[in-house]
Amino acid sequence: MVLIAKTLLQNWKIFFIEAGALSEFTGRFFTQGFRPRYEFREFVKQCFLIGYQSLALIALTAFIMGLVLTMQLRPSLVAYGVESQLPAMVGIAIVREIGPVLTALIFAGKIGSSIGAELGSMKVTEQIDAMEVSGTNPFKYLVVTRVFAATLMMPILVMLSICISLFGSYLGVNIRGVTSFHLFWTQIFDFLKFSDIIPAFIKSFFFGFAVGIIGCYKGYYSSKGTEGVGRSANSAVVVASVVVFIIDLIAVQITDVLGLN
Amino acid sequence: MAKKLANHFRLGIFVLAGLFFLVLLLYMIGKNENIFGSTFVLKARFENINGLMPGNNVRFAGINTGTVKDIAVLNDSTIEVTMLIKEKMKPFIKKNAIATIGSDGLMGNKLVNLTASKISAEEVNENDILLSGKAVDTDELIKVMGGATDDLALIVTGLKTTINKINNSAAFWDVMNDASLPVNLRSSLMNVKQSTAGMNNMVNDLQAMVRHVQSGKGSIGSLLVDTTFAHNLNEAVERVKRAGNMADSISIQVTTLVRNIDRNLNHGEGIATALLRDTAIVHRMENSLQNIQKGTEAFHQNMEALKTNFLFRGYFRRQDQQKKKQAPED
Amino acid sequence: MRSQPASLPLAPGKQDQTVIEVKDLNKAFGDNKVLQGFNLELKKGENLVVLGKSGSGKSVLIKCIIGLLAPDKGSIHVLGESIPDLNESELDKIRVQIGFLFQSNALYDSMTVRDNLEFPLRRHWMQNATQDVDEMVMEALSDVGLVHTVDMMPIELSGGMRKRIALARTLILKPGIILYDEPTTGLDPITAREISELIVDIQKKYKASSLIITHDMRCVEITADRVIILVNGRCYATGSFEELKRSTDPQVKHFFD
Repeated sequence: MVLIAKTLLQNWKIFFIEAGALSEFTGRFFTQGFRPRYEFREFVKQCFLIGYQSLALIALTAFIMGLVLTMQLRPSLVAYGVESQLPAMVGIAIVREIGPVLTALIFAGKIGSSIGAELGSMKVTEQIDAMEVSGTNPFKYLVVTRVFAATLMMPILVMLSICISLFGSYLGVNIRGVTSFHLFWTQIFDFLKFSDIIPAFIKSFFFGFAVGIIGCYKGYYSSKGTEGVGRSANSAVVVASVVVFIIDLIAVQITDVLGLN
Repeated sequence: MAKKLANHFRLGIFVLAGLFFLVLLLYMIGKNENIFGSTFVLKARFENINGLMPGNNVRFAGINTGTVKDIAVLNDSTIEVTMLIKEKMKPFIKKNAIATIGSDGLMGNKLVNLTASKISAEEVNENDILLSGKAVDTDELIKVMGGATDDLALIVTGLKTTINKINNSAAFWDVMNDASLPVNLRSSLMNVKQSTAGMNNMVNDLQAMVRHVQSGKGSIGSLLVDTTFAHNLNEAVERVKRAGNMADSISIQVTTLVRNIDRNLNHGEGIATALLRDTAIVHRMENSLQNIQKGTEAFHQNMEALKTNFLFRGYFRRQDQQKKKQAPED
Repeated sequence: MRSQPASLPLAPGKQDQTVIEVKDLNKAFGDNKVLQGFNLELKKGENLVVLGKSGSGKSVLIKCIIGLLAPDKGSIHVLGESIPDLNESELDKIRVQIGFLFQSNALYDSMTVRDNLEFPLRRHWMQNATQDVDEMVMEALSDVGLVHTVDMMPIELSGGMRKRIALARTLILKPGIILYDEPTTGLDPITAREISELIVDIQKKYKASSLIITHDMRCVEITADRVIILVNGRCYATGSFEELKRSTDPQVKHFFD
């Protein structure tokens, strides 16, 4: 009993230590990230690696998600006799929730782990020290560029993911029924409001930031050895995914309070 | 270096595609919310807006022409709805147009319907307050439908009694079931026809004979030169002729009658018309039957609509389930 | 901004000028007291070897000197500057004059050999033209005899080649002081010997002062002008390789057996 209590206490302690260290890391990002020197070339390179290289994976999942969601929603809409509302329904689900969150989760899986592993192995093989010795602030060169790239690429990925999801949904609508392309888009846009797209767009910046900063934190403070690298990649994905959901929860509360629902 | 350039090129396309879609999305939504493009403001005051919200559509003659911009409570019984209307619709909306609150389908979004009045008037100006009509309320609709259902029950009961009476009337069914009637009529008609033909022949023969007698040909002719006798004979022939004509017209009338009966029996059109010969009653009955049919159809439609309504869906589902349960028991 | 090796704050001709001076250095990680009052002096042009067992705090010492770790107590002076008191940009200026060969090479996996070598160049003095950088890369590669690997990735190279590339990267700024962190660890004896000889060649060519940290006696034998034996976080013994070899002290003898 005492042992369990002790372990629990220990775990809570670790949790708060982690939270504190991550907050400090985030603070360091804000104090160093906006001051010269700016690693612009590295930033562009990271944008390419983080943004463009994730597109294929995110496009595939988004397309499948749009298609599947449409086909799954159809029966219940048919039961209510509002089958014609299918595009509007799917459109709103994709734009408000599926697009941003699904993209963020895939992004966390791909980018969070790769940043965590990359920085972790750089830490273990002293590459980070080597950078510092070579007159480079490794925090700015490695962390700031990656976090900025993730933060800025994420909304673009979300936009493209929404677009591709809607194409998937169009296909899904047309598997069992016939809807012209024009009518499909008219119905979606007719139903959508600014209050649907803008919160989704804004929260995707936070998703990108969370994935970037958590991946970097886990990698940057990776423990020694190859096992440490694996663990930092793994926990980067887990923590980033959970934080994505927490941000989503906060975002929905904020939009609700602001009356944007 | 070339690889780097290619990567930059791809990154550029990627970023621009994302931004393009964002702008497109915002523009398309904005177009629907009348943010881009010129608009003007119209107002209308209502007692009850039935859950209308800013952003809901405004329709003029069924065309989406704008959106609800703002809803303000002026006092306990007046709510002012401010609407943004597309500028290009301005010439078509007149000052006497009536604003009502409706909904897009039975359970769709609320919207403001602008209806043109038949009397001509000036076109509206910015900030005009339109007349408002009472909104169609779903609750009220259901109340009215409840009354209609009661009436329908009464009508159906009355109809049932009438049909029972008809079913129980032996005389009616005797007449209806007498299959020999048309056959008899037909055979008597044939008889009439035959006798008429025979009569015609007889008359022709008589006429020929008279002509012979008049011309004094033959022995009888010479014998019967007495004109009186001839005159009498002529008269007799005339009578026979008249009788033949009468028989002819009777036979025509009978043919028509039989044809009618025949047709009525074969085609089943208004059985009562042929047999009861009281067209007035039949007409009334026909009318009432049609009315009932119409009423039933409308009711059926209402019920279908209700079924799809999620509020009543559970009820109908339960009924279905009960039916299914009863079926195996039977 | 770059200080050329010629502009070191040393009077030319003064051969026994001290370039690195460590006094009473203390460093602990939690309860593990790694260094306890360590003293060290590196003279200009000298090859000094710090000999110690694994985990005796050799790497900690070298990282304190380059400013990657802050000491708990004691002073570190490099070229007359107190390392713990410098800010980031001042540290960068000092670091241009110090080469550091990492134990694990620390080659950037995501970059080609050329980019790896260019990295410190471009970082420390951005104003240089591309032509200059190219020439310097080739010169550094020819010093270690690996010009043909210029467009390869580090992952494609063998351990010994990687060590040489890392050495080339250390040399590219023509530093006055070179710190070697276990340069022969993880290499086969023949390659280790080659590397040790390379260190001596380079020291002669650039007239650099070297601080070598190792536990490999062959390397010590080849490279050392002077040896310090590090035991329990302290300077246990000092002298030339031959002097220490003749020592009768059991702790010292232990290294030579």
